[in-house]
Amino acid sequence: MARRLGKFASVNLAGAVLLLGSTAVTLAADPIRIGAPLSLTGSLADEGSKEQQGLDMCVDAVNAKGGVKVGNEQRKVEAVKYDYQSETGRAVQIVQRLLTVDKVDFLFAPYGSGDTKATAVQAERYAIPMIATSAASDAVYDQKQKNLFGILFPSKAMAEIEVKFYKARMPQAKKIAVFALNSLFPKAIAGEVRTFAAKEGFDVVFDGLYSPGTMDFANVLTQIKAANPDWFYVTGYIQELILIRRQMDSLGMSVPIVTMTAGAAYPEFEQNLGALSNNVTSNAWWHPSATYKDSFIYGDALEYTKAFKAKYKKEPTYLEAAATAGCEVLLESVERAGSASPDAVRKMLASERFDTFYGPIKFGPNGQNEINSPMILQIQNGKYIVLDPQDVKTGEFKPGVPPR
Amino acid sequence: MIAQYIANGLLIGSLYACLAVGFSLIYGVLNIINVMHGSFVVLGAYITIYCSQYFGISPLLSALIGCLVLFVFGYLTQRFLINEVVAAPIFISFTLTFGLDLLLNNAMIQAFTATPRSLIVDYGSVTMAGVTLPIARLGAMVLALALTGLLYWLLRHSQMGRAIIAVRMDRHAAALLGIRVPRIYAITFGIGALMAAAAGGAMAVVYPITPLLSTVFLGKSFVICVLGGLGSVPGALVGGLALGLLESFGAVAFGSQWSVTVGFALMILVLVLRPSGLAGRKGFE
Repeated sequence: MARRLGKFASVNLAGAVLLLGSTAVTLAADPIRIGAPLSLTGSLADEGSKEQQGLDMCVDAVNAKGGVKVGNEQRKVEAVKYDYQSETGRAVQIVQRLLTVDKVDFLFAPYGSGDTKATAVQAERYAIPMIATSAASDAVYDQKQKNLFGILFPSKAMAEIEVKFYKARMPQAKKIAVFALNSLFPKAIAGEVRTFAAKEGFDVVFDGLYSPGTMDFANVLTQIKAANPDWFYVTGYIQELILIRRQMDSLGMSVPIVTMTAGAAYPEFEQNLGALSNNVTSNAWWHPSATYKDSFIYGDALEYTKAFKAKYKKEPTYLEAAATAGCEVLLESVERAGSASPDAVRKMLASERFDTFYGPIKFGPNGQNEINSPMILQIQNGKYIVLDPQDVKTGEFKPGVPPR
Repeated sequence: MIAQYIANGLLIGSLYACLAVGFSLIYGVLNIINVMHGSFVVLGAYITIYCSQYFGISPLLSALIGCLVLFVFGYLTQRFLINEVVAAPIFISFTLTFGLDLLLNNAMIQAFTATPRSLIVDYGSVTMAGVTLPIARLGAMVLALALTGLLYWLLRHSQMGRAIIAVRMDRHAAALLGIRVPRIYAITFGIGALMAAAAGGAMAVVYPITPLLSTVFLGKSFVICVLGGLGSVPGALVGGLALGLLESFGAVAFGSQWSVTVGFALMILVLVLRPSGLAGRKGFE
């Protein structure tokens, strides 16, 4: 309502300015509108609000510098946001609405691989470029769509690097237990780790799934404890991962390597677990300690982190950063194309390389970012330490969960 | 290992029982399906977390504060809102509590955000005969069982308890005997909310809490009550323990992804074969 009133007022204002014969017509150019379905309530509310913060970081920064230069006019940016309540069906409806009622110029994808895949079909049908900032599974990008662009590089690359990393650090580790949330991305990356680990000579001693809403892991963990793995690879969202780590503790489990994907990469994981989070490893697509430069907004990763902290009083994770970077490449494409038409922007997105604070981004033939390097993280004494890539690492891997 | 499986099942089962008692009581006496129950549990958990983390009060005392706050909240909600529609068909009160739940839950998302919060307690574990028992969960289990027992005793032996049972049997007859029915309704709803807060306090030392857990808690309460017999306190206990054991063994037998399904499958079976529940019987306690 407020937005509509605002628009009404600005249209009137523009009219008045014209009547007065002013030359400030370019100011009234329509903003570039990005439609964003966000999971602000429901099971993905935490992730959804992170995505919103990331998107706002980009929109605010671009508007603060006067907007996007399109040909010879400056256009502001506006995010058209709706809450899809973490329900896939509603996300599909909202994307439909954004395309047909709001008639947005570009789209953001909803959270996660599953919902992104479900909505990308509509972006394709209406030929509107859609930026996915939280979908890493290869399966999302296998439909030969021309309008879907994913910021996160494939989870397969992540899995491969993780297996090699731990193999090199702990050659004596032989047995791996894999336990995954039954959802598209958590299940996919667990499967990829299992495959690579088996190839590298690991013995898969436990391989299981759990469903969302599971309230007790005691018996599964009792089974895994009995299998005595050297490496315990768990995937899921933050809620379950916290519970699993706690129950491991109460059952007296001790494992040399415990990797938790992806919830453990968020600071809230450490805040909820305290000392129990020590030596848990995780992975991320980005981390505030990265050293990438950026010429479009913020200058570099350090400045981005500083601005983010000033605004939200917390550190950004890869999720917020990916959302900011997603919006950034979209707007940079508009500037490079000198036009906000979907066709021109799509062409730029598909062919150009972008150097952002998030890292270099170049979309491959399937639409997924094909450069950038995976990061391996470990929580040591309450701090997130980067273990890999070697040129940005801030510490060495420490085995043993709990620490001995 | 079997002993450990059973112990795990009983630990989660007693938490489940505590979760469902308040829900069951309100349904039994007021004939209201309280959709707000899950949010009450979450609110109780948040009060416990905040009181003990920010004011340094012990978790047990914090949980009791939560109980008190929720009792008052429940009492007032029933007294001034739900009492208006309590005699109407169950669908009306169901819709009302559904709407109130939307309000309460979204208010909590605004106030606390969806980021999980925990009460970090490190009580350790004890090992007896090869069975490892975490102290925090044992404590939650004792609290749950004690409160359930206390409620059962109060209903049978106190004047207020007898009045509640009388209203449950026949509210018109109870009114004729001089029992102030709207007041009993409000007190019962308050006690239901209090039990939810107690469950929340127990949950706070075990789970990372977010407002989104409310639907999980509500779903579990429903299954437990149907399993044990809707409206009875011992039924909630039996249902809770049964569900806890069943999910635990279901996870071992079929894999963890089926443990939630197993609970709902059993609920359907019980509805078909023994609609009054495992421990339920026709009539009143």
